[in-house]
Amino acid sequence: MLEGITKISEVEWEVPVGYVPGMRVPGRFFLSEDLSETLEGGAVQQLANVATLPGVVRYSLAMPDIHSGYGFPIGGVAAFEEDTGVVSPGGVGYDINCGVRLITTPLTIADIKNPRALIEELFRTVPTGVGAESTMRLSEADLDDLMADGVDWAIDHGFGMAADAEHCEEKGQMQQADPAAVSKKARQRGRPQAGTLGSGNHFLEVQAVDAIFDPEAAKAFGLEAGQICCMIHCGSRGLGHQVCTDHLRVLESATRKYGIEIPDRQLACAPVHSPEGEAYFGAMAAAANYAWVNRQVITHQVRTVFARLFGIAYEEMPLVYDVAHNVAKREEHDVDGKRQTLCVHRKGATRAFGPGLTEVPQAYRSIGQPVIIPGSMGSSSYVLRGTATAMARTFGSTCHGAGRVMSRTKAKHATPGREIREELLKQGIIVRATSDASIAEEAPDAYKESDKVVDVVRRAGLSLPVVRLHPVGVIKG
Amino acid sequence: MSFEELPHQADVRVRVRAEDCNVLFAEAARAMFSIMYVTCDEGEIERRVSVTSDDMQSLLIDFLSELLFVSEVDRVVFSSFDVVITGTSLTATARGEPFNPAKHLGGMEVKGVSYSGLTITRDGEGFCSEILFDV
Repeated sequence: MLEGITKISEVEWEVPVGYVPGMRVPGRFFLSEDLSETLEGGAVQQLANVATLPGVVRYSLAMPDIHSGYGFPIGGVAAFEEDTGVVSPGGVGYDINCGVRLITTPLTIADIKNPRALIEELFRTVPTGVGAESTMRLSEADLDDLMADGVDWAIDHGFGMAADAEHCEEKGQMQQADPAAVSKKARQRGRPQAGTLGSGNHFLEVQAVDAIFDPEAAKAFGLEAGQICCMIHCGSRGLGHQVCTDHLRVLESATRKYGIEIPDRQLACAPVHSPEGEAYFGAMAAAANYAWVNRQVITHQVRTVFARLFGIAYEEMPLVYDVAHNVAKREEHDVDGKRQTLCVHRKGATRAFGPGLTEVPQAYRSIGQPVIIPGSMGSSSYVLRGTATAMARTFGSTCHGAGRVMSRTKAKHATPGREIREELLKQGIIVRATSDASIAEEAPDAYKESDKVVDVVRRAGLSLPVVRLHPVGVIKG
Repeated sequence: MSFEELPHQADVRVRVRAEDCNVLFAEAARAMFSIMYVTCDEGEIERRVSVTSDDMQSLLIDFLSELLFVSEVDRVVFSSFDVVITGTSLTATARGEPFNPAKHLGGMEVKGVSYSGLTITRDGEGFCSEILFDV
């Protein structure tokens, strides 16, 4: 382990106050000994930097998929008091509400006679890659409504079922959304892209449930052994990127205006209830709603393909759940025995609310919310469930994925995309992308093993495994 | 090439060197588009960009962010840039070709240009900048 870090338990570590100047609280991160060699000094420094921000509560936290980002580390979680704390785009990132969802089907692996045909049809149907545009033509008024109403807009326009909204974090709509705080530029970028996958680590994957760890929870989530599911990972596209860019510029000035000292300009911030802080939060929430619509429209496209190819009903493909990875939220948490509203930032981390909470859909309330952890390309994904421990320790948060250990460019040069595609095909996994180069950058070797990351959050009690999903075919964005 | 990639696990970090700040900014833009599109050829399309910022770091970020915006909404892949900086303002002419999915595949979408680790320093007789792109 890196010097200056204190061991709390086999899977928890403390970055003491003083690790960087100005820390108000310690940092805490979750990592096993065998993953500790993947830890970058830069990521710990970023974790410590977050601890210098005003109003930070208890700890600056990071999950076991921690790696170096900008502003916050990836895997970072921090909560801020409403009255004395700040909101920062550095704790959310450019891809606002990048997130992941899982839909089930009534099919089993034996029903997929021609997986290649399925993947090709999905690839033709879902716009994918840099520069891809939606088939939807949104007016300015549509975009306003979409940003205000979130997933309900998509459902009202024929892109889903009423039950879908209930199975999204925040019911797929952050009510604080303020479309008026979203610039003309962001709107220009967003109008052609609603319902597009994007590129990078975004994907659409057909998977089969290959292990069940918690039968009761699996049953509640509607998951069965051998069942074919579909996982969708994407975010708010250019609209979200522009919202971050625009408001970062404003918050840079606001940081100086409010006399806040920050160790990294990407941590530009403003008091939660300042005009600048409110404007960012409203625009970010509008972009988050856009991202939920994006995933909902893609869900509709996927259901349409499955219904056509397999003769199953649209209604037989329910949404298990949809979680956000990059977002700031107003949430109520117990702090030192008192109920407090906090501004919780999760950047590359997942909400993992435990049993009994009203924020968890009724059908899952006795279990805890589903937590969806995508694996890297070609490796297993997991569905976990949120816990009371996460509520007590991490503001109800857990990991978001495998976490990179190799740069995209190094990965591109390490193994050609064609070789990776052929190797995965030998394992029975079809990979389809706009180009082999984009396959190489997401090579399985470029990531920590998702099994190990999930094992850390299990041992720490932050979330508990329910099922494992094995990839059948992946469309790489 | 007057830019090189530096190690970074999640995103793309580049170092750009140039004899003056005008060329430094132009090379930074060229680096960004080479991340996004791999193949960026000369073209007939021209766009003028003007940016004013508080300081040089912000100017670089605002300039690159503006190019990202123009490139995406006008569907242009830029390959060459003439930049003239005056104080903390700049005007630039960007040249390129229409985005063509068949030709411009295989790159990485740049989501944003980060302040984290951003440097602009004197480098002997010239200038050097390190920039982190969120991809």
